[in-house]
Amino acid sequence: MRDVAIIGAGMIPFGRRDEDTLIEMLAYASLKALDDAGLGDKTVDAVYLGNMGGGIIQHQTSIASSLVDRLNLLPAAAETVENGPASGGSAVKNGLLAVASGYYDFVLVVGGEKMREVTGWRATDFVATMTHPEVEYPYGITLPGMAGMFTRLYMEKYGVTREHLLAVSIKNQEMGTLNPYAHVEMALDREGIFDSPHAVVNNPTAADPLHLYDMCPVSDGAAAIVLCPLEMAKKLPKPPVLIAGFGQATDTHTLQERSDPTDLKAVTLSAQKAFEMAKLKPSDIHVAELHDAFTILEIAESEHVGFFKKGEGGKAAASGKTRLGGQIPINLSGGLKARGHPVGATGVAQVVDLTWQLRHELPKNRQVKNAQNGFSINFGGFGNNVVAFVLRRVEQ
Amino acid sequence: MKKDIAIVAYQCKKCGKLHYPFHDRCLSCKGREFDQIKPQGNARLLTFTRIYNLPWGFDQRYLTLGIAEFENGIKAMGQIKADETTALQVGMMMEPSWEPVRVHAGEEVYGLKFAPLS
Repeated sequence: MRDVAIIGAGMIPFGRRDEDTLIEMLAYASLKALDDAGLGDKTVDAVYLGNMGGGIIQHQTSIASSLVDRLNLLPAAAETVENGPASGGSAVKNGLLAVASGYYDFVLVVGGEKMREVTGWRATDFVATMTHPEVEYPYGITLPGMAGMFTRLYMEKYGVTREHLLAVSIKNQEMGTLNPYAHVEMALDREGIFDSPHAVVNNPTAADPLHLYDMCPVSDGAAAIVLCPLEMAKKLPKPPVLIAGFGQATDTHTLQERSDPTDLKAVTLSAQKAFEMAKLKPSDIHVAELHDAFTILEIAESEHVGFFKKGEGGKAAASGKTRLGGQIPINLSGGLKARGHPVGATGVAQVVDLTWQLRHELPKNRQVKNAQNGFSINFGGFGNNVVAFVLRRVEQ
Repeated sequence: MKKDIAIVAYQCKKCGKLHYPFHDRCLSCKGREFDQIKPQGNARLLTFTRIYNLPWGFDQRYLTLGIAEFENGIKAMGQIKADETTALQVGMMMEPSWEPVRVHAGEEVYGLKFAPLS
């Protein structure tokens, strides 16, 4: 197997993009990544496209075929990869394996989703289609609902408090104000959403015990990367970012069949595999992008991947250990909470943000000084299909 | 008249593990033969939530949902019959029933509901 590097990264601002179609968003992000890679007018050998809802929301299938036509990447191989909210991570994995195997040299990976085209009512239903079609979906369960049930158990077992969740909300939305690609560029005021009597109105219960500002927004957006063998990447002007490790693991479809529903086994296993492949440990990581679709997930994932012991993640967030300059800075992009969560784009966007971190290209207020190793978790379903990556800066 | 609770769980003939929903291979020993088991008695509430952003198909202000464990060990999700003033607690006993849980294409869809036992 060959070592594989990221040589190009691009993203378009997330948010509500009424003016763009899904294919246009995918094309804009792809062109940014291709230009960043310095490939000029050369084509790529293959395209892997992460998308979850084109068939449902846009009533459009074979999206990857449409994209290669629009970009004139013909006759590149092309396919769409669907793995719920981890579609982006799975697309990156497919690109990685295709180059590592020696079959392809240059691969474009792009993820995108256009969710604001429909009402919140429809978007919530679309996301809920990933729940079990017989024993969960008919009852009206939503992903925030699953997170609410998980949070109740996690709070009881590990002593996580609303203060801990609040620390994640405030940190990530603060980082969103510094990220020009973020959907939510609004800092939160603790008093307005927690301490004052107005908090009940400003930050109502959304999925008890979770509140409005514990949730990520519903977003449009796209992100892309270009991959090639490390040896070829070393000849290019920008420092290559090696995909040093990846891991993927699955868990039961329903929460009710997990012997301990607070144990996110697929997160632990995918992270272990990624660290093992990279020959690194959690303490070697300088910056992480975790899948904070709900604030509780940033805390639970930070424990399950090994940054903190079980029960310590909430306290770590509240004490600043996950901020820039802390023990392990998490979601300096603003995370899903502020950058947004166009479901098929998220896994790719996490890798794009880490690539910028490891190339030391971000402004000082978001850049981890001299960052060498990055880590991401892309969480599919309610933790039933998880993809993890370890990235490493390679000096030329 | 009260309707029978029309859910069936599957107990592995080889190792005895209980499954709901059905799996073609046992989650514990990969056995492929199962006995069909009906839920029995009341159910203990394991976790719950109340959601205010409902999916398409639900035209109401909120929905209370939970997972509960029947007396014979079957665990299942259902809607909870409770208004905003009802104090729910993990561990409390619930009475199950089989009632319409949504309307789809003009037809009522039946499913599990749980009512708190005071």
